Amino acid sequence: MAAPSFTVTPLQNVKEQKFSPYVNNGGTTLAVAGPDFCVVAADTRLSDGGYGISSRTVPKVTKLTDKCVIATSGMQGDMITLHKTLKARLVMYEHQNGKPMSTTAIAQLLSNTLYYKRFFPYYTFNVIGGIDDDGVGVAYSYDAVGSFERVKYSSSGTGQQLVQPILDNQLGRKHHHVPTTAAPVNMTVEDSEALVRDVFNSAGERDIYTGDFVDIYTITKDGVKTSKAELKFD
Amino acid sequence: MSILEYNGGAVVAMVGKDCVGIASDLRFGIQAQTISGTQPKIYKIHDKCLIGLAGLATDNQTVFEKIRFRTNIYRLKEEREIRPKTLSNVLSMMLYEKRFGPYFVEPVIMGLDGPDEKPFISAMDLIGAPLLAEDFVLAGSSASEALYGVCESLYRPNLEADELFEVLGQCILSAVDRDAISGWGGVVHIMTKEGITSRYLKGRQD
Repeated sequence: MAAPSFTVTPLQNVKEQKFSPYVNNGGTTLAVAGPDFCVVAADTRLSDGGYGISSRTVPKVTKLTDKCVIATSGMQGDMITLHKTLKARLVMYEHQNGKPMSTTAIAQLLSNTLYYKRFFPYYTFNVIGGIDDDGVGVAYSYDAVGSFERVKYSSSGTGQQLVQPILDNQLGRKHHHVPTTAAPVNMTVEDSEALVRDVFNSAGERDIYTGDFVDIYTITKDGVKTSKAELKFD
Repeated sequence: MSILEYNGGAVVAMVGKDCVGIASDLRFGIQAQTISGTQPKIYKIHDKCLIGLAGLATDNQTVFEKIRFRTNIYRLKEEREIRPKTLSNVLSMMLYEKRFGPYFVEPVIMGLDGPDEKPFISAMDLIGAPLLAEDFVLAGSSASEALYGVCESLYRPNLEADELFEVLGQCILSAVDRDAISGWGGVVHIMTKEGITSRYLKGRQD
């Protein structure tokens, strides 16, 4: 018996709906490490992936320990799960080791957690800020699959391309005429917080996904202080 | 890969107090390969008007030659130089004529307009949609977000000529450092009633 033969012609003018497991809910985060403090900030706008605003008051920052804070932009669903997972692992660590996880250890843990899902990643863009065991301010920045680097300052999210050059200019002192004999100048906590507010105002002007409010977390040896700044609602 | 990102490049213009400035990077490259680090993107139309062109390099050259032709004819007929605002409209029409087969350029025009020599800046997209701003305008697909960020932060109104130079210099250098296909230094032109001061900037050569 002859095998049946088929010809398949693709349908014309038919759009196929493909399910995408990912959506970008927008937002910008940043972390700035000082000599003995760290400032971590994120806006609180949740977009629906398009032009709509689902909420103006959704936090993107989670305090992990008294010395470490994580801020995440990207997909809100993955962000919530990731923060939940990390907090659970922190509790387990504290039970098993009798002490809270150090910021450097948390940084490595996040990297491992993200790479664990290398082939179906968390759609998250993270920054971690805090102080290490010596009391020195640290910041770490990550990509979606866990590649990370310790930095003096970092930003992520839809406003990253707007914000990062400003941080390079003001914090990295790039292109400033600094005499080589001058001692490196470190910013104070107040100056850093003021810079963060300015930077978010600028990002909010030009990035439609950034705005509403900013949560600013300041981590010092005395713990974590939070404040909120207003941005434009447009 | 967008055709507007084939050669890279960044241009920004800003308004100051009785002065205007325009800055560009110096890279000329073809995708990842850099051919030259001494190719500015700003051309002089006349003493009171400069035009910067980002986008596809070959179209930049062609559009500039067409502009030069038009402004030369204008000068012969009107017996005066073309006003920057008028040039902006002329360019807008020229680009829209090619609506369905456009020149891949992103122009930025700056000058001192009219008998009052009022600072004027404008930009447009590749099919001529004009953008008149009071503070700053920029062009350059790859570096545009970075430029928006720094300009929004560093700009303030009523900058004097030397302050404007500093701000433009910092903006262009900081922004192109975050763009792989723009950079290799910069050039800043500041135009006042007295004339044009041009300075080349040393930047990262990568």
